[in-house]
Amino acid sequence: MEEFTGPVDLNSMKKNDVILIGVILILALAAFGGISWYSEKNTKEAEAVVYVDGEEQERYPLNQDTSVRVSLEDGNYNLLEIKDGQADITEASCPDKVCVDHRPVKNQGESLVCLPHKVVVEIENGEEAKIDGATH
Amino acid sequence: MARQKDCQAGREHIAKKVTSMKRIYRVGILLLVTALLVGIAMVQKSGEQKRYEASFFDSFDTVTVITGYAKSQEDFEMQAKRLQEKLREYHELFDIYHTYEGIHNIKTINDAAGKEPIKVNEELINLLKFGRDMYEKTQGRLNIVYGSVLSVWHEYREQGIAQPEHAQLPPQELLDERRQHTDISKLVIDEENSTVFLEDEEMSLDVGSIGKGYAVQRLSEYARESGMEHMLFSVGGNVCAVGDKPDGAPWRVGIENPDLESGKGYVGTVEISGKSIVTSGDYQRFYEVDGKRYCHIIHPDTGMPPEHFPSVSVLTEDSGIADALSTSLFNMEFEEGMELVESLPEVEALWIMEDGGIHWTSGFEFNEEK
Repeated sequence: MEEFTGPVDLNSMKKNDVILIGVILILALAAFGGISWYSEKNTKEAEAVVYVDGEEQERYPLNQDTSVRVSLEDGNYNLLEIKDGQADITEASCPDKVCVDHRPVKNQGESLVCLPHKVVVEIENGEEAKIDGATH
Repeated sequence: MARQKDCQAGREHIAKKVTSMKRIYRVGILLLVTALLVGIAMVQKSGEQKRYEASFFDSFDTVTVITGYAKSQEDFEMQAKRLQEKLREYHELFDIYHTYEGIHNIKTINDAAGKEPIKVNEELINLLKFGRDMYEKTQGRLNIVYGSVLSVWHEYREQGIAQPEHAQLPPQELLDERRQHTDISKLVIDEENSTVFLEDEEMSLDVGSIGKGYAVQRLSEYARESGMEHMLFSVGGNVCAVGDKPDGAPWRVGIENPDLESGKGYVGTVEISGKSIVTSGDYQRFYEVDGKRYCHIIHPDTGMPPEHFPSVSVLTEDSGIADALSTSLFNMEFEEGMELVESLPEVEALWIMEDGGIHWTSGFEFNEEK
């Protein structure tokens, strides 16, 4: 630390330091603001993503009620309904109807699966997932 | 003179004070800058590895979901693709319905029953030895040479699902006849020559109760050897955690509610790191005859689906053992199963009863969903 010389000027000392601290604070705030703005921009709305045999077909935002017919090449179908922020398969031409019996999904990573049709409806950017996987 | 001295002392005092204040400011500024840098570093680090998921349908007639962390979508997809191909290899090896060019699989062995031993690779020898071992350990509750009976049920179930109004049960005489061809002592494994032979030509292998679990276990070993340290596999609800999550947290796995009418998707959760959990239940693969549900698991002693409880989950390190035990436990009364599991080290289990009651072994850290 340099030696203190000359007359004491407490006020100007403080002023310079306050300015310096202020500048750093503003920089810090700007940086954090920038980062959170950037990640905000990259956080999309919750969507139901439809896959057929692993290939992504379409995305539907969960905040818009809609009814979609997922049609397969062989004429089979699954009816996907989005209502009250949840996705549900309400009707399907598959033999086992496991997808229809499944309860509606809305959380991150939850999915509806129709094995016979190889149809998966998966929730992306949804509410924080409570689980990472499920055993059944 | 005295006053001058006083003044001098005063100036020095102030100077010291200013110096120490200056020091405080500098330290403060230093701290601020450090905090700022650490903060930015942390934000960037958390963005370094993102979570991805891939699902595919080409193995074990079910959906496989791989959850993992990677720096980019491309990185993750490359890893997932390798795992998908590896799993597919096991699927082809354990397939009882199709043959594949260039490999001798379970169907090859079944087709040669009563005729000749078939040369197979070490992986298949290991699987069959494991299956025979589990037969001993479970007093025959798990029988990998039960194919002759299972194929009858398979046929009637497929028919019943396709045409529910014409759903029928297999005739008892037929089941009784088929059960004559399920003697595991007629499964001949020749390790020296790496061959497998079924001595009874009416007999057939069906590794549905262990194949998936064995494959998932080998897949998790393959992942670790390939440097994939944080992954969660679910092969048709057969869940296996490779390590923990990158932040050191365990994976949280939901245990599905067998009551599909209920609004509660999961009866509760369990946290796992480097372990497997497998569930056997009657609510996923089944068909109905006259309003009664008949599931895909068949008790080796009766030739009929057991009706003890809707679901049992087994938690242990090895996915193959978890798979084999969950089927065995499904074929046992709850009390008997509980006794068996408590006698096994490092194995835990959880049962869901018809009335919704849940029981679990002493070491099962179950978080019940209230």
